[in-house]
Amino acid sequence: MPKSQYIDPKKVFQPGYIHFEDIPVNQYSKTLDEEKALYSKADMLRIYRDMRIIREFETMLNEIKTKSVYNGVEYNNPGPAHLSLGQEASAVGEAYSLDINDFTFGSHRSHGEILAKGLSSIHKLSDEELYDIMKEFLGGSILKVIEGKEEVKGNIKELAIDFLLYGALAEIFARTTGFNRGLGGSMHAFFIPFGIFPNNAIVGGAAPVALGAAIYKRANKKKGIVVANFGDGACGRGPVLESLNMSAMDQIRQLWGSTDNGNNPGLPILFNVFDNFYGMGGQTMGETMAFGMAARMGAGVNPEQMHSERVNGYDPFAVIDAVTRKKQLLIEGKGPAMLDVVTYRTTGHSPSDSSTYRTPEEIEEWKNMDPIKAYKEKLILGGVATSDEFDAIDEVIIRRMTKVCKLAVDEEASPRMDLDKNPDAIAGIMFSNEKRPTMEEGREPEVLMPKADNPRVKSLAVKSRYAYDADGKPLPKTKIFGLRDGLFEAIIDKFYEDPTLIAYGEDNRDWGGAYAVYRGLTEALPYHRFFNAPISEAAIVGSAVGYAMCGGRVIVELMYADFIGCAGDEIFNQVAKWQAMSAGILKMPIILRVSVGSKYGAQHSQDWTALTAHIPGLKVVFPATPYDAKGLMNEALSGTDPVIFFESQRIYDIGEQFHEGGVPTDYYEVKLGEPDVKREGKDVTILTIGAVLYRALDAAKTLEEKYGISAEVIDARSIVPFNYEKVIESVKKTGKIIIVGDACERGSVMKDMAANIAELAFDYLDAPPVAFGSRNWITPSHELEKSFFPQADGIIDVIHEKIMPIPGYVAKLNVSDVEKIDRSKKGI
Amino acid sequence: MATAVIMPRQGQSVESCIITEWQKQKGDTVQVGDVLFSYETDKSSFDEKSEVAGVLLEILAEAGDDVPCLDTVCIIGEVGEDISALLPKQAESVKEAEPDSAKETVTEAKLEAEIIAPTVSEADGERLRISPRAKNLALRAGADLSKAEATGPMGRIIERDVNKLLDNGATASREALEKWLAGDKSALEAAPEIVETPVAPVAAVPENVSAVAESNVYTDVKLTNIRKVIAKSMHASLSNMAQLTLNSSFDATELLAFRAKVKDSGEALGMANITINDMVLFATAKTLMQHKDCNAHWLDEFIRVFDDVNLGIAVDTERGLMVPTLAAAQKLSLNELSVKAKSLIKETQSGAISPDKLTGGTFTVTNLGSLGIESFTPVINPPQVCILGVDCVTYRLKEDGSTYPAMGLSLTFDHRALDGAPAARFLKDLCKNLEQFGLLLAK
Repeated sequence: MPKSQYIDPKKVFQPGYIHFEDIPVNQYSKTLDEEKALYSKADMLRIYRDMRIIREFETMLNEIKTKSVYNGVEYNNPGPAHLSLGQEASAVGEAYSLDINDFTFGSHRSHGEILAKGLSSIHKLSDEELYDIMKEFLGGSILKVIEGKEEVKGNIKELAIDFLLYGALAEIFARTTGFNRGLGGSMHAFFIPFGIFPNNAIVGGAAPVALGAAIYKRANKKKGIVVANFGDGACGRGPVLESLNMSAMDQIRQLWGSTDNGNNPGLPILFNVFDNFYGMGGQTMGETMAFGMAARMGAGVNPEQMHSERVNGYDPFAVIDAVTRKKQLLIEGKGPAMLDVVTYRTTGHSPSDSSTYRTPEEIEEWKNMDPIKAYKEKLILGGVATSDEFDAIDEVIIRRMTKVCKLAVDEEASPRMDLDKNPDAIAGIMFSNEKRPTMEEGREPEVLMPKADNPRVKSLAVKSRYAYDADGKPLPKTKIFGLRDGLFEAIIDKFYEDPTLIAYGEDNRDWGGAYAVYRGLTEALPYHRFFNAPISEAAIVGSAVGYAMCGGRVIVELMYADFIGCAGDEIFNQVAKWQAMSAGILKMPIILRVSVGSKYGAQHSQDWTALTAHIPGLKVVFPATPYDAKGLMNEALSGTDPVIFFESQRIYDIGEQFHEGGVPTDYYEVKLGEPDVKREGKDVTILTIGAVLYRALDAAKTLEEKYGISAEVIDARSIVPFNYEKVIESVKKTGKIIIVGDACERGSVMKDMAANIAELAFDYLDAPPVAFGSRNWITPSHELEKSFFPQADGIIDVIHEKIMPIPGYVAKLNVSDVEKIDRSKKGI
Repeated sequence: MATAVIMPRQGQSVESCIITEWQKQKGDTVQVGDVLFSYETDKSSFDEKSEVAGVLLEILAEAGDDVPCLDTVCIIGEVGEDISALLPKQAESVKEAEPDSAKETVTEAKLEAEIIAPTVSEADGERLRISPRAKNLALRAGADLSKAEATGPMGRIIERDVNKLLDNGATASREALEKWLAGDKSALEAAPEIVETPVAPVAAVPENVSAVAESNVYTDVKLTNIRKVIAKSMHASLSNMAQLTLNSSFDATELLAFRAKVKDSGEALGMANITINDMVLFATAKTLMQHKDCNAHWLDEFIRVFDDVNLGIAVDTERGLMVPTLAAAQKLSLNELSVKAKSLIKETQSGAISPDKLTGGTFTVTNLGSLGIESFTPVINPPQVCILGVDCVTYRLKEDGSTYPAMGLSLTFDHRALDGAPAARFLKDLCKNLEQFGLLLAK
């Protein structure tokens, strides 16, 4: 909602039409003679070789999967192999004009794309560059296996092809000598030095990730384009559609400013649909989709119709032609672009697919038109090369493939990760745990004014950084530095330090975020570093993953924690998994801010810490004080791991009541994973998660004053990681603990902590650790919330009923065992 | 081939023994018959003699350790022999790690297992509810849980309940507690309160005695197991019973004459050296057959009256008072009784007596007369209801001015079990039988 863009009611009510341009379909019509002028014989034979290599690679996989033997090499591969036999021309055609600054992202049927992009990069890189890449990658451990085994000794390009095929195959076979130590596998293979970014086992999952890579290039003025590959089946997925829109959002070409690609260039991203007519078995054209041809989708996205076009993916020249033109458009700043590349897979979705959804005649007809066979015949007929020359290429490929296959199944040359000898091999890469204050040294961050001139920075300078005055009296909220200010301070500091840091989400700019954490950033930062995203949670979070993969740091925000569900895959499968699936090659410096509401009913008041804590690979924090908020944000922003940053709308304005001297103005960090004792006591421990801290303190006060019971209150602050030592120490002292949070109790973090404490402190316990959360209901209206969220008197009720009966006390809540069993029976 | 020496099982009721002293050290040469170590149960002490010759290669339990019966205590063999097969694997590693806490863990683990196993009380639906913390505190500090008032949720005993017990001085031994926790409800109800390591009282003592202590040289004598058992038993006796003592005496002329006769010619007749004490025992056993209410156990809910007189004989030993039992004494001839009693006393004094022979008494006789005691109040050995004290002989005047040897008898009885008159009648009959010992023998 920038003020610079005026919405004129007179204009918007004027009559008119929306005009569409024609979308080209199979318009490529060059003759071989024309093509000879564009491609040398060597180019043409290389195109053949690359298609043949892909064909042989997948034939080999198919043989191994279905017969457990390829060319005499026996092997049983239980892992997946989603083949794309028949689609080689489209893959090679796409990669032909891409260079190593151009990044490709793929689907789960991407062996062909990876090899094509790899072969293209090998052709374009110098011998020195190639050898350096191979020598340095994973300490040269892949090179060591294949070096010296090349057919023509000393030929670095030949060696590099062996390297590419072996690295990919060893990855598919889950060997430590694979590109990602075997942790990614068939559906997640990639090799960044060749510009090959991850495939994705989630259909369409790579679209928002690729979008993020394009934002990275655009915001940081980096060279090259980004290609998001997905199938026609993925076109039905929300994250793909969200990404198409977000990549084309108006602000990029109206508000983001200039780069080397011109004034207000669009995003340099090509959405490339490998359109093979089937999802797994669902037929997109005629059955599951409405577009008829996928290229139509571009027409609905923006006035440029994404420069959408449909091309013949069985003709490598047609694809090269189209991709080359699209790349040029993107470099000229006219992105995004879209291609619909018609192709066909002649094998099943996987080797277990018996193709019940199509006729043998259909498959036979497509096989008769086989792109490699057709291409070869065309070149022989056109006098480009002889049949013998093609045979010679084939022979080399088969020998090479046999050699690579033999090496990849060799247990000694290509061992698997030994989790018996090294049980922490995977544990050790779940997080990168690096400290990197800036993700790019030496570049000045782009800002609009000196930090000291920022209006909010100025207004904060006169606020009290402690909640009480010198006499210990509480200060009015307008005079104190609140929790939201702590977050702001950490974030703005980092914006002036790390040039790659960007932040976006819904209503971030101008509005300042729905809860004013970002107020003041609009004045400080240019659009491309701080912007409003469309209401597209999947694309917001998914793009952050691509942004981080490319080397940037990013804060994305979901406004309400309840919207986590809208970005489920992106949080649970993308943000969480890529560091470990890449064997530690990729870093994920992403902060995902989510805010837990109250007063706003069932879909706007949920604490979903348990969902994120359950997924391995995410760090999760939930600060409840300004000091902790700033310190944890500082630490999170200086690390390289994804942190889900929970905040509570109840306490954005709360002042610092615990840290002596208030919230420091200087930089400091609060270590992730360390709980904090907010009130010392000796009779019972109350462990809190999030904003419930203040209700627990009220309960502690009542316990002390009315009943002479001294409660120790510990604020968890972090959920993953979490150091239990401090809690155990407290339990050793008190023997009693209640864990309180605003999340619904069933399956909550409180329950998990209670179980762990029972395990770790059993002998010291005087009562079972009791988790006390919200009821397993919908969140009712604000007026009824007291019956839903844990309250101070409820905490005392639970202590009285479950832990330590208090003489003379009468509980209001029914927390009896009978009630518990009954509720559980009913699922409430 | 090395030999593992195990802790012998001394009687069916004994589960473990405490090693009191090692006579041989690791590396010593050992001959057959050499004493390796001494050990004691709660009632007796023993020497373990080597049955093989060799070198003491390994000692697996130190003096003071409580060793389960049949566990290996040490290993004897040739120097350099591989004894790994004989080492108890788990115990070895645990021992090296941290002997004290390890031992405690093992006991606790055992305790856990016992609690988990269905006990009698659990079957009755009366499973004990107690928090781990409260239980640990009770075991550590020796709180008598049977007296606990549970104030936790659902009747659970929690820490504050145990603290209250300790404040009120309701204590119990760890052993009794463990038994009680394992389901043996009698362990605490019957057992007297005694704390093995009474932390609080010890801490309190120096305040009162400090002035004296500073100027005085003293020795703190560690309580032996036997001392503890005696203390426990005697204290329970006096605090739980309604006991009182009747004193009487009888004319011992005939008894002394009989004794003189035995002394003169008994040996020639192949008879034992029958003592005055033997004669008192004999008369007591016989007389009890007419006063069975004195030959009984008080068991709170009922009185168990015995048909046989299992006569407890109080014996003064180096380690303290012990009471071996002469089973079915009423069936024995005076000579038989004399022989058996002597051997029993000898075994007891040497410490070699089987613990099984130290239980099951129905009536006890204690003799301080030989030490010149004229009258005393013997303390009943619960759950028995009477104890007879034998005093020395004094000379009393008859009406005619002559004297006669009067031997005193002091009968303590539990007024809960019987009244003064029946007890007095028993004592009167006993006196009569002793005065007319010849007639008694003839019966």
